[in-house]
Amino acid sequence: MKKLVFNKNIVFFSFVLFVVSCSTTNVTEEAVYDSVVSSVEVSVQDNAVSASEEYSSKPIMANAVVYFDFDKYSLTSKSIQTLRSIVEVMNDNTDIEISISGHADERGTREYNLALGQRRGEAVRDYLMLNGISKKRISVKSFGEEYPLVKGSNEASWAKNRRAEIN
Amino acid sequence: MKKIILSLFLISNLYAELVLEITESSENPYKIAVHDFEGAGNLSKIISKVIKDDLLRTGEFNVLGSEDLLSNINDIEKINFKNYRLLGIDFILLGTVKIEDKINITVSYDIYDAVKEKKVRSSKVYGIPNKTRQLAHYVSDGVYEEITDLRGIASTKILYVNEIKARSRQVFKLMLSDSDGMNEQTLLSSDSPIISPTWSPDSQNVAYVSFETGMAKVFIQNIATGSRKIALENNYQISSPSFSPDGKYLSLTLYQDGNAEIYILDLSNKNLTRLTNHYSIDTESSWSPDGKKILFTSGRSGSPQLYEIDLLKFNSKPKRLTFDGNYNAKASYLPNNEGIIFVHRTGSEFQIALKYFNENFSRPLTQSRLDESPCISPNGNVIVYAIKDDEQGLLAGVTLSGAKFKLPASSGEVREPAWSGFLR
Repeated sequence: MKKLVFNKNIVFFSFVLFVVSCSTTNVTEEAVYDSVVSSVEVSVQDNAVSASEEYSSKPIMANAVVYFDFDKYSLTSKSIQTLRSIVEVMNDNTDIEISISGHADERGTREYNLALGQRRGEAVRDYLMLNGISKKRISVKSFGEEYPLVKGSNEASWAKNRRAEIN
Repeated sequence: MKKIILSLFLISNLYAELVLEITESSENPYKIAVHDFEGAGNLSKIISKVIKDDLLRTGEFNVLGSEDLLSNINDIEKINFKNYRLLGIDFILLGTVKIEDKINITVSYDIYDAVKEKKVRSSKVYGIPNKTRQLAHYVSDGVYEEITDLRGIASTKILYVNEIKARSRQVFKLMLSDSDGMNEQTLLSSDSPIISPTWSPDSQNVAYVSFETGMAKVFIQNIATGSRKIALENNYQISSPSFSPDGKYLSLTLYQDGNAEIYILDLSNKNLTRLTNHYSIDTESSWSPDGKKILFTSGRSGSPQLYEIDLLKFNSKPKRLTFDGNYNAKASYLPNNEGIIFVHRTGSEFQIALKYFNENFSRPLTQSRLDESPCISPNGNVIVYAIKDDEQGLLAGVTLSGAKFKLPASSGEVREPAWSGFLR
């Protein structure tokens, strides 16, 4: 009925000394089991830097933000205009490599939004590749809804957070 | 509609406050008289309070405390069962707390059936002074299992993510607490987001997604030792971990070719088996309790919907499970394998819903606007999920019998709950 757990880190063993159902009354004895908990701290020199921090470090910039509709990863005509200028800059400066990060708003599940952010980033990469930019110069990743640009549970904030950042 | 609001302050965690807000309870709850436990002064008061709150939170009990009862019991031999029956009471709980020495406490408790006029259980729980609440949870679970014949979950734990804004920086913490949200402990503290925490079946390890390397990666961490390792070393984004019921495999979402696809990782040899192959999003995999099926979210129909793959049939086509609602995602199976719980949207509201396999519709269980991340207790009776309350993330619970409650938010936002297995 009860499992005996052996672990050197456990303060108490969980065990039931006996469980007897004498004719009417159920008699039990047990000890409280509680494992030790170790806490870990990770502090990286922020690899996942937000777009704004990376802007300043590049002499020639090919950066922009394009926006998307809810649960969509198709490019709008406005996004395409923005991307055209990115293509121009990249054609003029063949040593520029870009990184695209896809983002989602807070609605919907975190994992689905991570996948959606990736699709948004891929949509931007696909457009750039169709316009002659080499795949090697583009990396894509997603941060889902984890790095919102704007806080707030309203359409104005959500619209700003459904984005792909190019830098 | 009955509304009981109880606030509970804990000694060791001064700012944590449990708000129990039972808006509805089951149609025919058990009525139990819980007399304040005797002995050990203030300690027995705390223990009595924890037990009463645990029983209330199940939604299956109507609890009367000493303050509601006519008299305290001094002589157990002279319980006047008739007086209890007049109040509609089915069961009576009496207990004693005894501090044996500096490191040992014993709680003894007896349960009486007021109708049959007899003692139905006589139990002892041994514990240590700084685990008093866990000791009380053991008593609650003993009472629950004696009366309902189901295993209790008061002694189980919940894992969740806590985001705190400290000065100009954000801190993301993976936290562990008792099932009532108290006794919080930090498993991981990071300056990068953490999502999708989940338990190994033996509740000794946790897996989660961390962005600390600059992209989503799955880590496995031992709770007791704190040792952690990356689940699979490669250059791709990896997310959405879920342990198989035997603990040997981990299903994952891998972004190997850019798109989210589900794979099964053999933890012993790191072999990968691809499970989905579709140009749309496939993610949020979760194993059936018997380990034979995997549930996941896919965008293949144009909106996120839930699908199931039969692992025993080679190359079987995923079966679509949800047809109502325009967004159905992040599902998990009920422990009895009779249905699923998930995030469901009709119109623009995200709610938690339940769908039984023998029904062709979803049953919404919650009413707020941005509910997400449902997880179910190991006995299948309670769902804890994340809500946005006044733009603040916190955890709430709903029992299948209809009781609702909120868990305490220590500070900052709380989200992504995951329920342990039975620990007692």
